[in-house]
Amino acid sequence: MTASRSSRGQCSGRTLSERGWGYLFAGPALCFVGSLALTPILAAVWLSFQRRLPIFGIQEFVGLRNYLELAGDDRFWAACRITFYFTGVSVTAELAFGLGMALLIDRTWPQVLGAGTDAESGHGQAWLRAIILIPWAIPTVVSARMWDWLYHPEYGLFNYLLLTSGLISQPLNWLSDPVWAIHAAILMDVWKATPFAALLLLAGLKAIPRALYQAALVDGASAWAAFRHITLPLVLPVILIVLVFRTMDAIRVFDAVYVLTGGGPGNSTETLSIYAYKTLFQTLQFGYGSALASVMFLLVLMMTGCYLLLLRRYLQEVT
Amino acid sequence: MSDGLAINRETALLMICDISEQRTVNRELISGLGYRLEVALLLLYVSLTVLSCLQGGNDGASFASSTVVIFKHGKLSGDPRTFEALLREFERRHPGVLVREELLPSSTDQQHQFYAINLEDQRTTFDLLAADVIWVQEFARAGWVQDLDHLLPPLERDLYFPAAIQAATFEQHLHAIPWYMDAGMLYYRRDLLDRYGFSPPRTWPELVRIARTILQGERERTLHGFVWQGKQYEGLVCVALEFIWGHGANSLSEEDPGAEAALTFMRNLIVRDKISPAMVLTADEEATRHLFGAGRALFMRNWPYAWPLFQQEGSPVRGKVGIAPLPSFPGYESASTLGGWMLAIPRRAAHQREAAQLIAFLTSPEIQRRMALDIGYKPARRDLYRDPALLQSQPWLRELAPVLLAARPRPLSPYYLMLSQALQPELSAALVGTKSPREALASAKRQMTHILGREVDPLPVYLR
Repeated sequence: MTASRSSRGQCSGRTLSERGWGYLFAGPALCFVGSLALTPILAAVWLSFQRRLPIFGIQEFVGLRNYLELAGDDRFWAACRITFYFTGVSVTAELAFGLGMALLIDRTWPQVLGAGTDAESGHGQAWLRAIILIPWAIPTVVSARMWDWLYHPEYGLFNYLLLTSGLISQPLNWLSDPVWAIHAAILMDVWKATPFAALLLLAGLKAIPRALYQAALVDGASAWAAFRHITLPLVLPVILIVLVFRTMDAIRVFDAVYVLTGGGPGNSTETLSIYAYKTLFQTLQFGYGSALASVMFLLVLMMTGCYLLLLRRYLQEVT
Repeated sequence: MSDGLAINRETALLMICDISEQRTVNRELISGLGYRLEVALLLLYVSLTVLSCLQGGNDGASFASSTVVIFKHGKLSGDPRTFEALLREFERRHPGVLVREELLPSSTDQQHQFYAINLEDQRTTFDLLAADVIWVQEFARAGWVQDLDHLLPPLERDLYFPAAIQAATFEQHLHAIPWYMDAGMLYYRRDLLDRYGFSPPRTWPELVRIARTILQGERERTLHGFVWQGKQYEGLVCVALEFIWGHGANSLSEEDPGAEAALTFMRNLIVRDKISPAMVLTADEEATRHLFGAGRALFMRNWPYAWPLFQQEGSPVRGKVGIAPLPSFPGYESASTLGGWMLAIPRRAAHQREAAQLIAFLTSPEIQRRMALDIGYKPARRDLYRDPALLQSQPWLRELAPVLLAARPRPLSPYYLMLSQALQPELSAALVGTKSPREALASAKRQMTHILGREVDPLPVYLR
């Protein structure tokens, strides 16, 4: 009995390494996740190789023709430009404001600047953290409606403030001006997502050992030097994570802009997601729409890959 | 029926909550209270059973032996019980047939998505559907809906508005029956026009002149001249077509001088004549309705739904509003865009005969009159607009009739939704000035030809 059992154990130990066992046990989970995440992606890619209009019973394999058509589609390129502009401006602003907010909330900094101590800030801090999260907690559709009213040329708060302060003499039409409209959407996105960035960055700031700042103070470093040489390098991984999250979200932006403008005026705010939505769900061009969605997926994948590469290189440098 | 049940369940639940709260009072009482809880639950069970027997028993028995027709449609305005009462009336007249309503989301886009996905299926779970006028061609071309020629023989089609029949006809066959009507029309402030001695404008330049005169006279900064729907969406296509048709143009091609002039005129309403505020460029029906309803606009282009809302108690413009057909350009006829909903039977519906009976019932003069009286829907039958009883309670229908008669369907094509998607951004671009009307029309035509080019030959008249 014992002999046979041990020999069986040895036998299986020989055929499967520790790594192999690992894969075997993780297998079911991998299959599960794979089927949930990978299948729809593959299905979309497969659809993108077809010309498929269910309304007319058209379903034919066309290879890369949808992608070739995309390359010659002005509307697609315009949507790309708008999406990247939106992403670039909003993510930069969110990072900058988020870092500012995080620094303000983090209790270390007043001490570095030589003002205030731990005791001063009590549970007001906890409240503050909860309050800044409110914009992030409101569903996007709701906040977009809210901002829609803020921007309203007749009843909106912005025009009211600007008109009563005498800065403008005629009400501005934020959303009906092709230049203002995209910036109005960006502003809303920044308002909404900055707290998220701030919270992540705050966690990063909290993780920096305070002894470093104290040492810097003793050495007579200026606040800027402390920020530049202690805070920034140590919070960089978190910054990269914020960038990954926010870039992914911003490239896929849909509801914020769609509710505010519907892509108008004159397609000046039509992002890739909105174009894909209109193609897929309003006109039911499943093949072409899937090609659009696949291109978006690739873009997000590439951007994330770049960030991860940066992050890895940074971590290698540190260690 | 379900209300009664819900309330009963709620009170019973409250009782249980009360009891369970007391449970914490004393450990010794637990068993006793547990007993009371059981009694309460038992009582609840018995009362619910009795209730459902009393109220639902009837249905339960007849469900087994009768046919259930499932009717999919979007939410109707007003009290849903009004329409339910009509359906119960149908059931009384057709023993053995029951109708179940299944409501779709109120967004038209989502309804379309629902139909596109479910009608494609091998089995259809519903027997009757309400389709927007712009879907019928598509549904018919896809073979998703039945040919309904037998329900409305050619001779009887004259009883309906011609545009609606046109929109419901695909390749000479009727595929839907008009249910209720919509068309673009002009609302004006009768009190202000009277004060300045104007009658409602017949032409667009006249409208501009009247608006400018009254705006100058009133010196009210918050009063606007003319509001309409200029947001980049389906509504913009409707409005633009009205201007384009009203300029005698039948084509959306940039080579048609009428189309270009119409778009130029629309932009000029905002930038040159300044009688339309720039907010129209983001306005949909509701945005303009609110503005006009607050007494802040002289003229408005909108659908008939706004009328009863203006006449409600507390409305600032109550009794001050008039309606008229949309103006046109001098020398051309007024045109308005057809809207409204139709009834159609899915090809794979299980209960075709009963669904057809329901269509006949819902489009009968009697029920159309009741729909008009009770929820303010505009009948699809023309003769009802001369019906004394109806006119007595809703005199404005007399003025609405010529508007509906002059209505025109949007380009009749199974590809309409794609065409509209190509048009919307171009029209919007022409209005906000990022493209000239000519460029915008040329680009729209290029895209539409590309869409149609693969399947349709020769090109339809609106693209030539």
